[in-house]
This record gives sequence, structure tokens and C-alpha cells, in this order.
Amino acid sequence: MMYGRKGYQLVKDFASGEKGLLKPFNSKLFDETIEECEQNHGLIQSLITKMQQEGLDVQNNRNADHYGALVHHLSLTRNKRCLMAYVHNRAEIVRDLAWRVGLVLLELPPDIQEKLTALEKDYFKNHSKAIKSYMGKLGIELNVDMVPPKDPYIKIRVVGDIDQGIMMSDKTTNFTRHSMHFLKRTDAEPYIARNQLTYPPCLIGGKI
Amino acid sequence: MAGQTDPHISLFSPEEVEFMGEDELVEIVPNMNMEPLNFIAGDFGRFVPQIPTQVPLWLAVALKRRGKCTFRPPQWLSVDNLTQILEAEREPQSKFQPLPFSYVEIARLLFDHARDDIPDMYMVRSLVEDIRDVRLHKLENNLGSFQGTSAVKMDNVSAMEVNLVRPFARRALEAFYKHDKPEADTADRDTRSSRQPREANNEPRRPLRQR
Amino acid sequence: MFLFTARFSLTASETETFSDGLSVERKRVKPILMASNSDMGSADFESLSSTSDVELLKRAWRNEKAAPEILPYEGDLVERAKGQIELVEGNIEDYVENGMDPLVVSLYQMDLDRTQFLLRSYLRVRLLKIEKFMFHTLKSEEAESRLSEQEKVFATKCVADLAKHFEESVLIKLRESYRSVLKQSLISEEDDMVPEPHLDTFVVSRSNSHVTLNLYEEGESHQIVEMYRGDVYFIRYKVAKGAIESGKVDLI
Repeated sequence: MMYGRKGYQLVKDFASGEKGLLKPFNSKLFDETIEECEQNHGLIQSLITKMQQEGLDVQNNRNADHYGALVHHLSLTRNKRCLMAYVHNRAEIVRDLAWRVGLVLLELPPDIQEKLTALEKDYFKNHSKAIKSYMGKLGIELNVDMVPPKDPYIKIRVVGDIDQGIMMSDKTTNFTRHSMHFLKRTDAEPYIARNQLTYPPCLIGGKI
Repeated sequence: MAGQTDPHISLFSPEEVEFMGEDELVEIVPNMNMEPLNFIAGDFGRFVPQIPTQVPLWLAVALKRRGKCTFRPPQWLSVDNLTQILEAEREPQSKFQPLPFSYVEIARLLFDHARDDIPDMYMVRSLVEDIRDVRLHKLENNLGSFQGTSAVKMDNVSAMEVNLVRPFARRALEAFYKHDKPEADTADRDTRSSRQPREANNEPRRPLRQR
Repeated sequence: MFLFTARFSLTASETETFSDGLSVERKRVKPILMASNSDMGSADFESLSSTSDVELLKRAWRNEKAAPEILPYEGDLVERAKGQIELVEGNIEDYVENGMDPLVVSLYQMDLDRTQFLLRSYLRVRLLKIEKFMFHTLKSEEAESRLSEQEKVFATKCVADLAKHFEESVLIKLRESYRSVLKQSLISEEDDMVPEPHLDTFVVSRSNSHVTLNLYEEGESHQIVEMYRGDVYFIRYKVAKGAIESGKVDLI
């Protein structure tokens, strides 16, 4: 048995993943770490028993067995910290998913859902509830508007063939080829997606 | 969604730095009559043709894009002034020259949306880029000075520079501070280290080099 | 202590006639000055007298983002901003209905969007900080006192959820003496597994007024730094903490 080795491996396994991305829960290493804790605990007990059988004051006597037990205790607590860190860091990612991807578990992408344990799914649901409850009390949505707002209007140029006289949300427009327009982004998006409208080339290559 | 703000709570994204810079007041010349704008951010206008007025940069850009005004470029954004500043910045051992805190963001937005309102725009743009480069070099070279002190004054530093240098300076100063204080509780830090999320991963991985 | 804060009030509905002949009835939003006892940080009168709520929100958001620990909740400011936002949302609906030039309406939309972004970001940053240091926040009287009532409820639920998660994932599988959420073991004298904000981290401050700070703590080498209005410093958060709360410096 190695002292704190499994806990170390568990933490390393987490750290080897891409930051913020969940890997599948490493049950094997996790259980092995727990097992290592059990071994530590068993050895602590046997050392204490030995000291008691030798008639020594377990609390205050500082012999080799005392220090042996102490080393096991420290290895155990180190493994505990690693186990907690593993669960804690994954829980952080779960919370981040709730904020950034969505508050409804079943609406998370399937490849993310399958990396969550059943307990983590419960934790996700509970945390989502906490966020929703807060937002409800304040009457403000907080999981939107994650980036600073931009002008709702954008400059575009017509490149494809579009029917004349398309009705936009605020006016009717004639889309002659190569003409430039100043449109609401939301109105333009479907046409941009179909490559009928494009952003005019900017000499500086700046943002729109 | 691409470009979402990282929810990390202690650094500003470039979009956020630009957002803050967009509140700077600039001068525009309206080309049509418009009612005053009664915003949460303040009252602006009336807008009378040919009468210059001050508005926040974000509003100025929006008005320009809507064909309602032209820009009066700020005094500092001229070939003459920027040439002087560049020369002064290039002086060895010089400190930062006075420039608006958001000079990078103001310049960028004006180049993108009001290039025709800036005389000698290409020259001006090139000067701004050179000034930015010289200042960044100065910052890099002076990162060494971040050690050995526990408070560092930064004169005439700009928003972009603060945001860029923040993680490096923090590490340098914190490393110094740990050694400066012999009673720093290293055992305490170890206990928490395996428990804490790894903050260092949020910062760019360029090594701090001494020049 | 009386502080001057920008307050918004409604004048009566007015009818405005636009140059194209359209008449629109709208509610005017007008910043006025009022003395108040609000416990916002104090700052010079001069800088506050021309400070909109948007500017105050921006400051609050910036400070909160840059500070390692949670700062006092700006409850009055949040309420005012919410009121403004609702008002302007209503105005914009009216403008659209009454045929105001859509390009001009979009300007009002942009002002609204910017304010909403700031308000949401401010509240969100705080919740993220509570999540990050949830156990510490409820243990520390000072930290807890900085939360709004709703934030306290949120923090309490966060702690309950995470503690349950720890118990079911890890702790139940360990031996009795090692089952504490906050202590490594029963032998621990204090809660030694509670992440705490690093108050010694370096932040960037900009002074709003003249302030003198002690660089070191009591009993150590005495060194002060004098900061004048507009000065930018890299400085330890702990040193600047009091000045931030009183509004004498901002974090940038």
C-alpha cells in the first residue's frame, strides 16, 4: 500500500483533462482511493490496539507506533482531501454548465449528460433550482446577456438573389444586388446563413 | 456560443474592456435635427446640424452608423500629437506618456466606424499601433520591477495594458510577498491547495522572464 | 452621514411633438439629485453630482469583479436600476406603437441593453463568488452581512446542496471520524477544509480622492503609500479594502 498514492492519481486524472470539460467519473480510481483509506484506517486501529496491549498511554506516548499511526492518519486525510477535491472540482463544472449551457438537465447535450453520475445529476438539478429561485425572487434573468451588448443593427451587402420587397421587422426593403443596407441583426441572420447577405469587407478587418 | 464571457470572476474579457471604454465622451457634429435622447445613462442632445456636442462613444458610433453625424476626432488622435508621443515613448528609461485610459478602444472604434472623419487615418492608425507596441515592450521589461515592493504605482497606464499585465504582475508580486513575509503559513496553503480549484489555470501560460 | 446620490423621478406624462408631426406621449426619465442616507460608499460630492446610475452600476460591477471577496450589496442601486429598466422597456413599447423612427428606437434599446448587461453582470458575479466560497460566506459574519436577503437564501441552499453531494459521494464511504464536511477529521481543531478568498491577492486600484494607506499590518515595518486622485496602483487587496468600501478608490 502506498501512502496517499491513489488520491494523488485521482487528482492527477482530473487535472489531465481540459479545463472546464468533464471527463467521465473515474469510479475505479475513486473506489481504489476509498479502499486505500480503509487500509490506512485498519492499520491505525491495529497500531492503537498494540499500544493499548503494551499498556501504553495512547494519547500521550510518542513511540514508533504512535508515529506510524500518525503517518497513516495523515495519509488518510490527504486521500480524503483528494476525494473531496475531485468531487468539488467536478461540482464546479456542473454549476458552470447550469449557468452557461442551460438550467434543465434533459436539455444538456447528451454527451455531457452521460459524463455525469446519478449523484451529479441530482446536484445539477438542485443547483438549477437555487439559481431559478433567486432569479424568480428578483424578477431578473441572470443566465442571459453573458457578453456585452452590441448594436442591434448591422451593415450588410447583398450578394445573392433575393426577392425584391422583403418585409423586415421595421420596413420594407428592396434587395438589389450589391446594394448595402443597415438592417436589424435578427432580420438579417437567416439571409446571412443562406449566404444571400454578407458583411461588407472592412479595410481594417475590424469587428462589425 | 462562441465568445461567451468566461465566468471567471476576476478578469475582464477584451469585449468587456471595450464596453467600458465605450462610455468615454467624444465630440460629434450632427448633420440633422434630432430630439434630445433621454437615456438611463444621461441626457444627450438636442442635436442641431453643425453644432458639436459630446456624447458617449457607443452612442457616437451608433449615430454615425445611422448617418446622423460625423466625428470630431479627439485632439490627441492626430499625426502631430501621436508622433510626439511615440518619440517620447521610445526614449530609453522613459515612463508612459499621457494618453486617455481607453485610448486603444477609442482609436479602434474610430478606425472601424469613422475612418473618413480622421485626417491621415492610415498614418494615425500606424502611429497608434507603434505606440501600443512600444508601451507593451516597456511593460514587459519592467515586470522585473514588480518584485521587491508591495505597491507599484503605474502612471498613465491604459485599460488594455492593465488588463494584459494583471496576471503577470500579480504572480510576481505575490511571489515576492510570500518570501517577504517569513510567517506566511505554508502548511495552511498546502491544506487548501488540493481542495481549491486551480486558479492558475485561468491565466495565460507565458513564463515570466527577467530582462 | 448624508450622501448625494443620483435619483430618478417621473415628471408627469408629457406630450412631445416630433419634427415629422408625430405626437407621442411618454414618461420622461430625468436624473435629479437628492440627499439620502443610503449606505453606499461615500465619494466626493463632485464626482457623484454628475454620476448616473449606469456609472454607479459600472463601478459596482468592476469593483465586484476585481475584488477577491464579496463586497457590500448595493441594494438601493439595484432597485433603482430595476425601476429604470422597467420604465424604459415601457417607453420603448410606446415608441414603437407610435411609429417613432426605428433607428432612434434602437438607440433607446442600446441604452437599455447596456444597463441590463451591467445589472445582470453585477448580480451574477456576486452569485458566482457565493458559489465559490459558499462555506466561508456563511461562516464569516462579515461576509454574510454583505449579502442581500435573497443572496443569503441562495447561499444557504448552495451549502445544503453541496454538503449533501459530498456526503453521498464521499463521506458516507469513509470511517466515522473522517465524515465531517468542513473538517479533515475529528482531530482537527477548526474547520480546515473551507476555501477562503485570498485577501492578499494584488489588485489594481485607482483613487477617487487623496488617501493614505498602510502597506503592512500592525507591528510590522511601517510603510505608507500616499495616493492622489487618479493614481493607479498595483496593491494588495487587504491594504486597499477599507478605501474601496468607502469609495475612496475603485478597482479597475
